[in-house]
Amino acid sequence: MRRSESARKALSWFWLALGMLYFFLPLVATFLFSLKGRKGVLSFAAYANVLADPQFLKTFLFSLEMAVFTILASLVLIVPTAIWIHLKLPKAKGLMEALSLMPFVIPPIVLAFGLIKTYSKPPLVLVSSPVLLVAGYVIISFPYMYRTIDAGLRAIDLPLLTEAAQILGARWTTVLFRVALPGLRASILSAVFLCFATVIGELTLAVILAWPAFGPYMALVGRDLAYEPAALSIMSFALTWGSIGLMQFISSRGVARRGRGHRP
Amino acid sequence: MAFIELRDLRKSFGKTEVVKDLSLEVRKGEFLSFLGGSGCGKTTTLRMIAGFETPSSGSIFIDGEDMENVSPRKRRLGMVFQNYALFPNLDVAGNIAFGLHVAGAKGKSAKKRVAEMLELIGMEGYAQRYPRELSGGQQQRVALARAIAVEPEALLLDEPLSALDAKIRQRLRDDIRSIQKKLGMTMIYVTHDQEEALSISDRVAVMRDGRIEQLGSPSEIYDNPATAFVATFIGSLSSLCCEVADAAAGLLLVDGRILRAVAPLAASSGETLSLSLRPESITLSPSSADDNVLPGEVEAVKFLGSIVRLVVHSCGQAVFVDSFNDPRRALPEPGEEVKLCFPPEACHLRPSHPAVRVPAEEISTSVEA
Repeated sequence: MRRSESARKALSWFWLALGMLYFFLPLVATFLFSLKGRKGVLSFAAYANVLADPQFLKTFLFSLEMAVFTILASLVLIVPTAIWIHLKLPKAKGLMEALSLMPFVIPPIVLAFGLIKTYSKPPLVLVSSPVLLVAGYVIISFPYMYRTIDAGLRAIDLPLLTEAAQILGARWTTVLFRVALPGLRASILSAVFLCFATVIGELTLAVILAWPAFGPYMALVGRDLAYEPAALSIMSFALTWGSIGLMQFISSRGVARRGRGHRP
Repeated sequence: MAFIELRDLRKSFGKTEVVKDLSLEVRKGEFLSFLGGSGCGKTTTLRMIAGFETPSSGSIFIDGEDMENVSPRKRRLGMVFQNYALFPNLDVAGNIAFGLHVAGAKGKSAKKRVAEMLELIGMEGYAQRYPRELSGGQQQRVALARAIAVEPEALLLDEPLSALDAKIRQRLRDDIRSIQKKLGMTMIYVTHDQEEALSISDRVAVMRDGRIEQLGSPSEIYDNPATAFVATFIGSLSSLCCEVADAAAGLLLVDGRILRAVAPLAASSGETLSLSLRPESITLSPSSADDNVLPGEVEAVKFLGSIVRLVVHSCGQAVFVDSFNDPRRALPEPGEEVKLCFPPEACHLRPSHPAVRVPAEEISTSVEA
């Protein structure tokens, strides 16, 4: 019995290692390739070239700004909606799940032209506003955001916790801010990461709506240069994960502070 | 005067009527249990009292006040749920203090109350543990403390012990009762476990199909079941078909033998009735000259821990006989001829109905001796 358990453990480690190799090997290969900017030696020349290009920081900051607005808009729209559906309209769960698949079904190019056609004439003319880009990003990241929040809500049994809070005298706002949102912390954080990663690398909407985002910049560099795109990929990977780590750090500090506050 | 009053309460979900015309009065400081099988409407009734379900018709009064349009948070009730419903992001102290903070209690007063509650449930060293770090029994204790901390007018408990194992269930059951007595708190308890209901309640409401079949003290319910359903649902019963030989003298005819019940009988001579016997009221040797005696053959001997149950074939029916497990006494073997002896007071008579169903779990959980 002990042997079968250790064999199972070994098998688990094998599959984990295989998964990690699948994920990290291309990354390592890209990294090694990015170091070959100078003939015969390994150097960070490609990285220096990328950093020397003012477009790099400009486009990254633009996408970062768009990502922040997208995350805020998505959270404001989707979190209360998902909570409301779980508490008051459970029958609408199926409809929302179907809706959340739509961005996968409708290609971004169709979405982009649909947005241009709808918002290029009165009453709402938004084609020249970044609001339209954020709106498009909200739609694209909707499946990740909704499904992650939905999974979190299913895990904490919100209707039951809401009843427990209500019978203790809590108002809806108390239920939302002291029960639902803290209970959803992990899933909200995951949803934010997914949303962030989606927006940072998004290409189609930014190109068609003509915004100087990071996605189009990476595509441009990849078309014209050899080693710099590899360096850029590694840098964007590091920047995205760095930003995500920072968000997690800030959020966990906030939760720890609130947690201490509850202890009488 | 009733502290909680349910008046002609009805509740339907679509076309299904779950609670039918239910009226009940709960006295202040009373421990009342709703007892019934799945789908009998006991939890729905409790949820209507809490305000989580709106009655289709009828009224609920708490301390004389009509609860129509009063939200759960304003009903001044506490509730303990089957699945604990502790807030996972808060530690034990945070959970207990939740209602106190909502009510505006802060600092020392909240701290003091939390400490009192932890002492009450015997979990003083657990204030900073999170629900995921506690066992099921500990979580339910915290849920109980959280509900009591805000000093509710009454506490509603929705099958609070059904997710726990037998040993913890028994201990926590006794704890709930002693806390209720100590605080003099009105409690309404929902359970499907008859032993639980009978052991801790002042009164039990046995429910079936959305109605109360019988309301009474545990001994009334057990000793004098008002309906065939209550008789079969509570405890075990063996039923024999009998004919009234002499109603005035309390004489019955069972399989050609005369038996004596408590006279006079509320039936006419010649009428066919169902004679029900509790397994613990039957012995294998007469204890007095008045005892009725029926012959039988032992079919099986079942070991139930402190109790040994004999299944005896008598008068064409299986009759259960319970006795304490005494290792010094030899048990009859299957196939052995025995005498079933019972006093006239043990004979419960009801209009004739098909043979009583034996609760399956009683047989399946026992071990053949």
